[in-house]
Amino acid sequence: MLNWKSTVAAATLALGLAPAAWAATEIELYFPVPVEGKLASEMKSLMERFNAEHPEIVVTPVYTGNYDETAIKTRAAMKAGNPPAAVIMSANFVLEYQINNEIEPLDPLIEAEGMTPDSYIGQFWPALHRNAAFAGHVWAAPFHNSTPLLYINADHFRAAGLNPDAPPATWAELVDAAKKLTVTDGTNTTRYGFMLPGGYDYLGWIMSALAMSNGGEYFNPYYGGEVYYDTPSMQGAVQFVDDLVHVHKVMPEGVTEGKAVSTAFFAGQASMVTLSTGSLSFIRENMKDDYRVAFMPRNLRNAVPIGGASLMMPKGLSDEEKAASWTLITWLTSPEISGHWSRFTGYFAPNKAAYDLPEMKDFLTQNPDAQVAIDQLAFAQPWFATYNTVAVRKALEDEVQAVLSGNKTAAEAVKAAQATADEILAPYVAQTAFKLQD
Amino acid sequence: MQQKTAPMMQTVGLLAPSLVFLVLFTYWPMLQSVWQSLRIESFGSDEVTFGLGNFQRLWTDDSFQQAALNNLVYALGTIVPGIVIALALAVGLQEATRLNAALRAIVYFPVLIPLVAAAALFSFVFLPGIGLLDWHLAKLGMAQINWLGNPKVALWSLIGLTVWKNAGYYMLFFLAGLQAIPNDLYEATRIEGAGVIGRFRRVTLPLLGPTFAFVFVIALINAVTQIDHVVVLTKGGPSDSTNLLLFYIYQQAHENLDYGKAAAATVVTLALLLALSLTSLRSLERGVHYES
Repeated sequence: MLNWKSTVAAATLALGLAPAAWAATEIELYFPVPVEGKLASEMKSLMERFNAEHPEIVVTPVYTGNYDETAIKTRAAMKAGNPPAAVIMSANFVLEYQINNEIEPLDPLIEAEGMTPDSYIGQFWPALHRNAAFAGHVWAAPFHNSTPLLYINADHFRAAGLNPDAPPATWAELVDAAKKLTVTDGTNTTRYGFMLPGGYDYLGWIMSALAMSNGGEYFNPYYGGEVYYDTPSMQGAVQFVDDLVHVHKVMPEGVTEGKAVSTAFFAGQASMVTLSTGSLSFIRENMKDDYRVAFMPRNLRNAVPIGGASLMMPKGLSDEEKAASWTLITWLTSPEISGHWSRFTGYFAPNKAAYDLPEMKDFLTQNPDAQVAIDQLAFAQPWFATYNTVAVRKALEDEVQAVLSGNKTAAEAVKAAQATADEILAPYVAQTAFKLQD
Repeated sequence: MQQKTAPMMQTVGLLAPSLVFLVLFTYWPMLQSVWQSLRIESFGSDEVTFGLGNFQRLWTDDSFQQAALNNLVYALGTIVPGIVIALALAVGLQEATRLNAALRAIVYFPVLIPLVAAAALFSFVFLPGIGLLDWHLAKLGMAQINWLGNPKVALWSLIGLTVWKNAGYYMLFFLAGLQAIPNDLYEATRIEGAGVIGRFRRVTLPLLGPTFAFVFVIALINAVTQIDHVVVLTKGGPSDSTNLLLFYIYQQAHENLDYGKAAAATVVTLALLLALSLTSLRSLERGVHYES
């Protein structure tokens, strides 16, 4: 492929025909759209702007579905020997690419710009470091990030005699408020005090927020072969969710997908919901009632995992492609672009300097709800990333779904989840913690 | 000698174009799956051995057993009502009147919607409390049902959607089958004094035998290969209650990167599908032909 291109290029040169445009490096950027909103068309216009500002590079943005689909398409492209130059990858999948030796460390490119890996990663919020820089190298550049937030319907709060400007800060206050907000009609509940998304992916994230708020850690952030499912902090979190459904009856039984949760919130059938900061703009545009945004309530401490995506560079690129990819990555994570994307989507900007820009300051004055997301960052923790992340996450999700459906107790669920997860992690553990390394 | 090779060459020549594509895109991948299913690789080692290890791991995987069981329930739940409804519709709408033509078009309509689009539509129909289904049920005084979020209900919601989607398609085959039944048979039974039910049981049903066998095979293949709604609506959840074989294979291959187990599951699924199709196609060729 490359040889063919360079032959043509050489021939063009030899004939003295070289127009200025031939030298442009053509690269592809794979990007996912993980939340509701017009993110794909905005990404397209951003890339048009990048191409106009960088005549030496031509970037083709390729929309690759949600995070999981993006990972699949990236792997397929790598296997076919035609990797994209940059991918916006779910931040917690980066570890697996590193484990499988499929991505380039960014250190040489960082050092070529006169920075150290530490000073480079230092530009980003501290909570984001662990998912991007580990095993002694920088592997990814944070692009857009999120945390779970509590969204409340202020009208419902007032009607129930609660103060919408003092939303529940603890689990106990959440239960109390949810009870007052739940409306029943005979045996039928017409309005639920609280809802959380129970589908795959979202549920694992929310459960890690609850386990962390309960003093736990969910996974070992320093080693991808360990998860803490069968622990008091996780069991307490699962018990809390179980009680919300089956004891306090303020949350619907069974699984409610993320989309159904936001729809119920818009329709006034759920008074409080936990959703991503990435949904903030979507909710701002679609919510007719007065609403507020608050921290995830705590039991033992304030803590939430980060979410979102980072830019990474697959192996197998030429030097020109690497350089072009690095220019693109630097541009996309610059304070200006980072801030612009943040205002458009609701994700927070990973680059701290984005918040020093005047347009960002104006935006935050006009949208105090976005400020809450920034404030919660002080309590943010790394996102679960292990060997075989999706399967390990699903091990817990299947069990919590069984609890939500009233088929298992919290104690049974965490025990079973731990057993399944350990089995999935076993091949990795055997090659790492159980083996002397060279 | 030459007389013999010429038609042979002609046959090969005529078959060649489709054979090339069949070999490239059907038989070759099947062989590769079998090959892959026997390859045993482990993390952190380049060593490859061959054996039945992937199949052993498959049998002991609870998720696989669950998916196989779900697929059985799903197949029975979609095929039996699908065929019964399709037959009823075909018998009811077989007279070529203008009203019937319009009704047939209406019944056929869901077939025209791609399954993935139908699933996206039904994500709103199934919304608990707010969705179309619950909205109408609430008017009848029924409680909310979490159609996709209750593990006892979710698979049946998908079955309902599939029956709605496919009944019109199977109706077409039954309509064609009904056209092929000679009228004099009905006249003969009428002279013999058989009633409507008698005629249906003694003439229509037996003569539709080949159609049944054909529709059964098509419906069976659909039950294994059409899983867009699982991907769009449930991702196999809650707690694997809507996981079907093909989605399980997808999860093993793309989520868990366990290509060996995925290939083993593919081989098992293919073998089952082939065996069932062959049996029903054979019974189609045998016994079910009636001379008028």
